[in-house]
Amino acid sequence: MNGRRIEVLALLAPALILTLVVFVLPLVRFLSLAFTAPEGTFATFVALAESPVYRRVMLNSFVVAAVVTAITAALAWPLAYLLARVRGLWFTLMIYGVLFPLWISILVRTYSWMLLLERHGPVNRAIQAMGISDTPLPLLFNHTGVLVGMVHVLLPYMVLPLYGAMRAIDPRLMQASDGLGAGLWQSFRRIWLPLTLPGLAGGATFVFLLSLGFYITPALLGGRTSIMLPTLIVAFITEHFNWPMAAAASIALLAAVAVLMLAATRFLKLDRGMFAR
Amino acid sequence: MQRRSFMIGATALAAASGLIRPAHAQGRPFTFTSWGGALSDAERNAFIDPFAAMKGIEAINTSPTETAKTIAMVEAKKVEWDLVCEGGTVAFQGEQMGFLEVLDLSKIPNAAALPDAMKAPCGLVTSTGATIIAWSESAFPDGGPQSWAEFWDVARFPGPRGLYTEFTYNYEAALLAAGLKAEEIYPVTPEKIEMAFGKIREIKPHVTVWWGSGAQPPQLLSTGELAASSAWSGRMLAAKAEGAPVGFTFRDGVAWGNWWVIPKGSPYVDLAHEAINFALDVENQKKLLPLKTYGPVVSAATEGLSPEDSEILVMAPQNLEHMLLLNEKEGWGYTEATLGSWQQLMME
Repeated sequence: MNGRRIEVLALLAPALILTLVVFVLPLVRFLSLAFTAPEGTFATFVALAESPVYRRVMLNSFVVAAVVTAITAALAWPLAYLLARVRGLWFTLMIYGVLFPLWISILVRTYSWMLLLERHGPVNRAIQAMGISDTPLPLLFNHTGVLVGMVHVLLPYMVLPLYGAMRAIDPRLMQASDGLGAGLWQSFRRIWLPLTLPGLAGGATFVFLLSLGFYITPALLGGRTSIMLPTLIVAFITEHFNWPMAAAASIALLAAVAVLMLAATRFLKLDRGMFAR
Repeated sequence: MQRRSFMIGATALAAASGLIRPAHAQGRPFTFTSWGGALSDAERNAFIDPFAAMKGIEAINTSPTETAKTIAMVEAKKVEWDLVCEGGTVAFQGEQMGFLEVLDLSKIPNAAALPDAMKAPCGLVTSTGATIIAWSESAFPDGGPQSWAEFWDVARFPGPRGLYTEFTYNYEAALLAAGLKAEEIYPVTPEKIEMAFGKIREIKPHVTVWWGSGAQPPQLLSTGELAASSAWSGRMLAAKAEGAPVGFTFRDGVAWGNWWVIPKGSPYVDLAHEAINFALDVENQKKLLPLKTYGPVVSAATEGLSPEDSEILVMAPQNLEHMLLLNEKEGWGYTEATLGSWQQLMME
């Protein structure tokens, strides 16, 4: 037993030490700045909570994250269903279609959206050619741009857990339900849908948490009104040179993520992997 | 013995991998940092590369300038930039916050040729430019707005606008648009700040881009994403020279200098002083002229120049007549006074 423990420790040590030295320690040092404001130990948090600007930024972040989660869920559900059904070449094509964007730099993908969504870009030209609108629509540097970019980047994180959940559904359950006289709708509602919910919860947690921390896409595709928490943290550092405030805002973000993660583990069996069974 | 050589080896390895840095980074070449684009090109070709050649040293040119990074380096006592091209407000801010070296003017005799507005205890101007009105030729083929008042006139010049992401330049532009005369802009008062905010609220619904990087205005104007925008003069001159479908005017422009500062604790403080003095030498100032982006600051460098060549010289009296000289000390004042309220205004 003792030898086993040493073995485990030795295997874990390199990754653990690296994480501790280059990630955890600097992070703790940075976050501790939040309590060093000259106005008092908790002055930064008071400022964050009292300012209508910062409150609005935080609310904004949660709203955007929730909307992105809802849209990705709506898009990913039918896609995951198809993925779980098809076989052979179609499956290969589709799974690569889902995975391929993950291998392209997020910066490249975001800049591509800038080209597509600009005033005289292909999307606006198509909209005008089809007669939907006479003038170019404002698709860039506002909420629309941010949502389009974030949904595109985060879609795979929703598709994969849903696909995992749908693949794991025993087809005999549906046959049994059919055999026992349930209609298509009832089988869907009472058998299939509940079994995909853990996958949905996994994907939603992923997408929501990643959305909260998104920086590049909102910074490039959003305007000043669609500012989110990470953008605010960067503004504290680069424009105001106020590192205690930046650290306090980071702690607020980290705390929100931690609470959500805890809540998620209650109904998601994280130890069995995000691909819920 | 073995242990000792192991220690030396380990130290060398750690130093090579960047974990430990010698207190005086003599292994690192003299490093100059600027904003990138046309300005970095001008400073590199006119000043830094000739200076390095003259001294027989290696000099690195990097970009972009990031004040927060400078502060972090100084606080961590690991200064990697020896000379930095900054906005003027930082020269005053750096003195107040203590992250810049106070310049020893006895080592920079050429600074005597500078006007007072181009000097600060922690910084000196080595070249000049302006924040000017620029437009897209596809939006206004017959010429765009010729003043900030016209820039604000969205009925006469319809289309999306771009303005700088911070209050800098916008304070001046808004007050000029509101009808104040150039000599009434300073000193900054709370009433004038309120007036500028009101004027910015007026145009805000038409501002689709609050640009933060100098590369944005020429790019967004040439694709037609913006109809008109404020922009840095050198970037517009460079874009125009490359054939971009953009137009601009220096009229009503807000003229400023590019300030050179030395982060506190640089191992090359003396060399940095020498570089500033070199850049302010009349002959070296003249090297800016053929580059046609940013102008000299030393007036002796511009004598006997043809009218078309003197367009870029924002300090030339005939140009300054139609422009406003940005007062950097006042600029730092209004920036500091509006840090929170500016962000609030942006989110309205």
